[in-house]
Amino acid sequence: MNPLCPVREHVSRRAFLKASLSVGGAAVANWGGLFNSASLAAEAKKQGMRCILMWMNGGASQIDTFDMKPGRPTGGPFRPISSKVAGTQVCEYLPKLAQQTDKLAIIRSMVTSEPDHPGGITSMHIGYRPEVSIAHPELGAVIAKYHGKPDSDLPTFIRMGPAGNGGPGFLGPEYQPFSIGRDGRLPPFSDAYATAESEKRRSDLLKLVEDGFTQENKADPYGAHRLAKEKAWRLLKSKGIFDVTKDWPKAKERYGDSEFGRGCFLARKLVEADVPFVEVGHDNYDSHADNFVCHKANMNQLDPAWSSLLIDLQERGLLEKTLVVWMGEVGRTPYINNRAGRDHYIRAWTIVLAGAGVKGGLTYGETDIDGKTVKDKPVTEGDLFATIYSALGISPRTKHMVGTRPITVAPERSVAVADILS
Amino acid sequence: MADAPNFEKCTLAYTLPWEAGWVTAVTFIGASRKLAAGNEHGQIMLWEVPEKAGETVPLPTRRLDGHTNYVSRLFSAADGKTLISTSYDHSLRYWDMTAGSKGEDSVVLQTKKAPNKEPVPTLTHKVELQASEKTLGGHKDWIQATDLSADGNLLVSGDDKGNVIVWDRPAGTELRRWQLKGWAFAIALSPDAKLAAVAERIPLIFDSGRQAALRLWDVTTGQMVKDFSNQQGAKGEHFGAAAWSPDGKLLAVGQGNESSGKIYLLDAATGKKVQEIAGHLSGVNELRFLEEGKLLLSTGRDTAIRVWQTSDGKKLAEVGKPRGGQFKDWYHAMSLSADRKWLAAADMAGAVAVFAVG
Repeated sequence: MNPLCPVREHVSRRAFLKASLSVGGAAVANWGGLFNSASLAAEAKKQGMRCILMWMNGGASQIDTFDMKPGRPTGGPFRPISSKVAGTQVCEYLPKLAQQTDKLAIIRSMVTSEPDHPGGITSMHIGYRPEVSIAHPELGAVIAKYHGKPDSDLPTFIRMGPAGNGGPGFLGPEYQPFSIGRDGRLPPFSDAYATAESEKRRSDLLKLVEDGFTQENKADPYGAHRLAKEKAWRLLKSKGIFDVTKDWPKAKERYGDSEFGRGCFLARKLVEADVPFVEVGHDNYDSHADNFVCHKANMNQLDPAWSSLLIDLQERGLLEKTLVVWMGEVGRTPYINNRAGRDHYIRAWTIVLAGAGVKGGLTYGETDIDGKTVKDKPVTEGDLFATIYSALGISPRTKHMVGTRPITVAPERSVAVADILS
Repeated sequence: MADAPNFEKCTLAYTLPWEAGWVTAVTFIGASRKLAAGNEHGQIMLWEVPEKAGETVPLPTRRLDGHTNYVSRLFSAADGKTLISTSYDHSLRYWDMTAGSKGEDSVVLQTKKAPNKEPVPTLTHKVELQASEKTLGGHKDWIQATDLSADGNLLVSGDDKGNVIVWDRPAGTELRRWQLKGWAFAIALSPDAKLAAVAERIPLIFDSGRQAALRLWDVTTGQMVKDFSNQQGAKGEHFGAAAWSPDGKLLAVGQGNESSGKIYLLDAATGKKVQEIAGHLSGVNELRFLEEGKLLLSTGRDTAIRVWQTSDGKKLAEVGKPRGGQFKDWYHAMSLSADRKWLAAADMAGAVAVFAVG
C-alpha cells in the first residue's frame, strides 16, 4: 500500500458495505477517495506543485481591470494602459502588473452559474454548482490532498482573510483549511502556554488515553478531533514561518503597505516552505455603489502585491511550480447603475491565471463591444477548475466515491482549456 | 444686499436636456444667466437661461472641448470672464467666456424622456465649439476636490494621489503643494483664503488601510495647522463636501459616499461640533453658505437641494425631491445665479434642472 495514501482511501469490505448500505452519499461523505488512484496522488506529489489563490471577495469588475471598454457607455472613467504584451491592455491602476502580463493567462470569457455571493463563493471554490447531497471539496482541499506532504509540520491548506466556504467536503477533516488573520498573523490561541517538553508529555498522555477510548468507541469525529490536535502540535513546532515581522518592513516597499500585500508576501514564504495551497482574500469588491473609487482603492493594493508576488516567485524558481489564480465569486455588470456602481454579473467576466502549467502573455476568449456577452470560447466554472487541476498535474477526471457515487474533482462535462495549458 | 431668496417658492422652470450620461458639474457664469454644465465624458456645455420661467426650453449654445474624462467641478471667476473646470483627466482648464467660437458641431440632446417625465422633443442641435484657454497640469490622478477663493485669486485643488496644489488663479501657476495621506475628497478655503480645510479619504472597506481625515492647512506655507479628524462627528468620516461661513467661524462638512448624508457645523477654531443637520438620504455632494452664514444650501445623493437654518439646523425648504427606491440618482452639484433668481442642479440622470427661485 502506498504510504502517502491513508488507509481509508482504499476499498475495504467494511467501506464497501457502508457505502452500499448508505441511503445518501452525505452519510459517508468523509469516506472520500475510496476508489481514488493512489498512483495518481503519488505522481502528483512528486511534482511538488503549489497554488496561491488571490480571492477578490465580492467580485471584481472585469471592465475596470482586464477587459476594458474605453469610449463605450459601459466603459467607466478608468483608462487602459499598454502592457508588456503587445495588444494587451489593462487598467491604468495596474501599472506594475502591466509589466508582468507576459506571465498572465487572462480568461475574458467566464460564464458561470451562481449570481449571488454565497452560491458564487461556493461554486468558485469547488468548481461545481452547490449541491445539497454532495459536499464537494474546495480547490485548496483537493490540492492539499494531491500535493501536500503528509510529514510536513505545516498545514497543507492555509487561507487568510475573506475566503471560501466549502471546506474539505468529502475529502474529510485531514484537508480542513487552516485559517489565519487577514494580515497573515496567527490567532493568539496559537501561542503555547507550556514548554515544548511539557507539551509533548501532555500530547503523549492524551494520545494514550484517546487511543484506548477510540478502541472502544469507533466514530469519525473522534479521529477528526485527534487529527486536529496532532496538527496543532505539529504546527507549534513550525509557527515561526508565519512571523514575517522581520522581513516585512523591507518587503512592504514592494508589496505595498497593506494587509493584502502582507498576505501575498506570507503566501510566497509558505509556498517556499512547501505549503501546496494558500488562499489570500482581498476585501471588498462588492461595489453596487461607488464602484470606481472602490476598485481604485483596491487596485492600489492589488497592483504592488500581485506584481511583486509574481516577480519573487520567478526569481526563486517557484513560478513554474506555483499557479497563481486571481478570481472572485462573480464579475460585475457592464451597465453602471445610478449609484455609480456595478452589480453582479456572471454572463461575461474575467479570471486570470499565471505560473505553473499555464502559458503566459495570452488572453483567451472575447466579449462583445460593450462587454455584455461572450463572443467566443466561453469558460464555465467547471472548465476553469478542470484547467486549474490539469495545470497542477491532477486529472480533472480523478474520482472519489461519495456513498455509491463516483465523483470527479471537476464536473464530468467540464473541459480543460487546452489553449491555456503549457 | 439683494432681498433674501425665497426657496420655499422654488419651482422647476426648465429641464435642460443633454444626452450626456451623467451631468456632473454646474455653475452660472459671473453675473449672467449663462449656465455651464459638465458631464462624465469630459464635455462642458453652455446655455443661456431665459429671463423668466415659462419660455421655450433653452438649447445649448456652445460646447467646450478639451477634457477627456469626468468633469468634477466648475467655477466661475466673479467677473464672468473665465470658467474654471477640473477633471478626472488630471487637469484643470481655463475657458475664456469672451472668446469666439472655433467651429460648430451637431449634438444629440434628447433621445429619452427627462427625469421629470415632461415631454421634451427629441433633438439634435448645432452648437458652437470652443477650446480651452489654458491647461494646468501637475496632478497625477483624479481631481475631485477644489475651491476658489472669494476674490477669485487663489485656487486650491486636490487629487486622488493626495496632492494638494495651490494655484495663482489669474496667472495659472503653481504656488505650492503638499501631500496628504489619503485622497482629497473635499476642500474649502477660509474667507480670507489663508486656510484650507481638506477632507481626506481612502475608501477601503474592512481594511486597516482605510483613511479618513479632516485637517486645516496653512495655504501660505503648506503646513498642517489643525487636525479635526478625531473630533466628535468627524472621526472616521469621509466628507464629500465642505464650506466655510463668510465670517470664518463655522466650517460645514457633509458625509460623502453612500453614507447617511449628515451635515455637521463645526467651530472652525476648535473643530467642535456646533450643529448636526439631517442632510440627505445619502451622501452630500455640495455645500454653500448664504445670507452671511444664516442659511446653508446642500445637495447630494437624493436629487434634492435643501436649505437649512444654521442657528438650529432647521430645514427651511426642499428644492426637488428624492426619487426614492434603491436606484435614486444624484444631484452632483448646484449653483445659484448671481441675481439669486435661478438655482441649477447637475442631475445624474442626464439633464440640468433649473429652478426659479421665488
